[in-house]
Amino acid sequence: MADVKAAPAAPARTGWDRSRALSWLQDYGVYASVALLLVFNAVFTPHYLEAGNFRTQLVQVAPIVIVSLGMALVIGTEGVDLSVGSVMSLSAAMLTLYLGYGLVPALLVALLGGAASGAVGGAMVAFLGVQPIVATLALLVGLRGLANVLVPQLKEFRDPGLLELGGGSVGGVPYVVLVAAAVTVAVGFAMRRTTFGRRLVAIGGNRRAGELSGLPVKRVLVLVYVVSGVLAALAGVLSTARIQAADPTSLGLLMELSAITAVVVGGTPLTGGRVRVAGTVMGALLMQLLTSTLTKHDLPSSWTQMVQAVIILGAVYAARQRVTR
Amino acid sequence: MLDLARPGARLKTVLAVSSALALAVSGCAKSEDDDKGTASPQNSQAQQQVTATAAAGATCTLDKFGGKKFDPKSGVVGFSQSEKEANPFRIAETGSIKDEAKKTGVSGLRATNAQSQFGKQISDVQQLIAQGAQALVIAPLNSDGWQPVLAQAAAKKIPIITVDRKINATPCKDYLTFIGSDFVAQGRRAADQMAKALGGKGKVAILLGAAGNNVTTERTQGFKDEIKAKAPGIQVTFEQTGEFTREKGQSVTEQLVQSHPDIDAIYAENDEMALGAVTALKGAGKKPGEVKIVSVDGTHAAVQGIVDGWISAVIESNPRFGPLAFQTLTKFLNGEPIPEKVTISDREYDSSNAKQALDYAY
Repeated sequence: MADVKAAPAAPARTGWDRSRALSWLQDYGVYASVALLLVFNAVFTPHYLEAGNFRTQLVQVAPIVIVSLGMALVIGTEGVDLSVGSVMSLSAAMLTLYLGYGLVPALLVALLGGAASGAVGGAMVAFLGVQPIVATLALLVGLRGLANVLVPQLKEFRDPGLLELGGGSVGGVPYVVLVAAAVTVAVGFAMRRTTFGRRLVAIGGNRRAGELSGLPVKRVLVLVYVVSGVLAALAGVLSTARIQAADPTSLGLLMELSAITAVVVGGTPLTGGRVRVAGTVMGALLMQLLTSTLTKHDLPSSWTQMVQAVIILGAVYAARQRVTR
Repeated sequence: MLDLARPGARLKTVLAVSSALALAVSGCAKSEDDDKGTASPQNSQAQQQVTATAAAGATCTLDKFGGKKFDPKSGVVGFSQSEKEANPFRIAETGSIKDEAKKTGVSGLRATNAQSQFGKQISDVQQLIAQGAQALVIAPLNSDGWQPVLAQAAAKKIPIITVDRKINATPCKDYLTFIGSDFVAQGRRAADQMAKALGGKGKVAILLGAAGNNVTTERTQGFKDEIKAKAPGIQVTFEQTGEFTREKGQSVTEQLVQSHPDIDAIYAENDEMALGAVTALKGAGKKPGEVKIVSVDGTHAAVQGIVDGWISAVIESNPRFGPLAFQTLTKFLNGEPIPEKVTISDREYDSSNAKQALDYAY
């Protein structure tokens, strides 16, 4: 019997294949853009190829990377977590409030606050069936208010350990960057090698099928929001350590948008079922490099926003092709 | 066991977790300062030193305005604050109004806070009018959009004094007068201090305030004009917004010192950005005074920065409107002429007076 081969649906167009190109763009566009920006800067920006410069970029992007990874997990379940910026501000407030007990207890309390906020948001989504955008919007508003009540104005701290965490480094690599790298590795491992990761993807792809096949859908959902909350709280701690003051009024403002941007630009589809860890890190890095490039060349910040918009639209367009294919 | 299947039970569980969270947050907090007992600087001599430097423009009298004389001590005076008292400026501003009301015996002061929401400020002021306010002191969040309120106040002939920001309307008709700083002059004085710190020569970066804000525009314009006129040896080589926040001021300065290592000085359009710049310079391994900083505001932390050698000079933006506001109101009710703008006097801090002036800074 002759080999059974699927007949080609249509003769493949030779040369430029639009949908394949866009699919490539969604997967690798962010790496290509980062590479392009680096080359541009190496040529046109003075003092760019210096260790100090890369350190600055990585330190500034670290909190965004951490928040974005949590966001990527939530988006992988077809949800969204708008509360991350307010969780950062709450963790900054709690950190300074409990610093009197020492650095470690204060850190734990701050992270616990993030976990609790995530648990509340996750429970609303999983058990009460509230839409993620609504549940986390309520937290966005409420937690910022709570943080402001707790610490009504910017508060400087003197704790040497916390100052070291924000400004210190080991072997030339700032602690803040090390923490972000560790989080990246941990999230990457969780997504590839653990049941949690596989269940998350399964639920995000098709929640009904997950329920029918007996997956603990609700538990996984709550856990995902808890992880996002803890990571946002961690980012709040690192930012606070870096600026050497807790500033709940302005810390983390619009962070939810930066994080969603990083996730989308990194190629994670908003429709769930897929989480791109490395892509998300690159997405955050791309936005950071873009902002810093325009800043270094002394262009007004309104330009940055417009260029960002173009990149987001490009990413969404590339993603749309894949979905409709 | 919890029955999570019943909707009511689920809701109760979520509520219970939320309230437990709220309790845990505030329950047993202990900040660094709790052991020491914070001594917030009290400034007893502060109030007397506030005087108007200039009285400009056409004048207004009680007759011209068409108002009715009343005794502020027994009357009702409303105060509408725009932003929550979360930064030193707003804290000092509200404090000054309340203190002065107490000092001059105005017992009927009603204060509101719009929490940065313009809609709330409009309804706050309408509430104050409904409560029988006979005079209003307003720190406006916006300059525009006041027509409905102004019409209500004008119908009742209630004099309005706006502080720190202006309302776009006709003085002596829609409102009585505006008391505020001269932001262009603050920029010019910052430029003079900058010229002094740099010896008239060098490269300066500007940390701009929030875009589209008249404070930003005027502090920038005053600074640039004065530099051009008085210190042509100084070049402004970099200007980026730090959005009036410490974090942005720090991030932009980190980029700046990395790509423009030849920068000699930074003009920060408020103290928060200047303090962010100090953190960035420390992080980049700079010594105090290696990059000069001049800023505007006069907060306690920035004046301390002068004492520590990181900041060369700070031009004050005076938030203590209380004395001038009540003086102006009393004069007006006594039939004296009131100018359409009253300029509050701003101090200047540098290494010669910072230490002694620390208690006065807000």
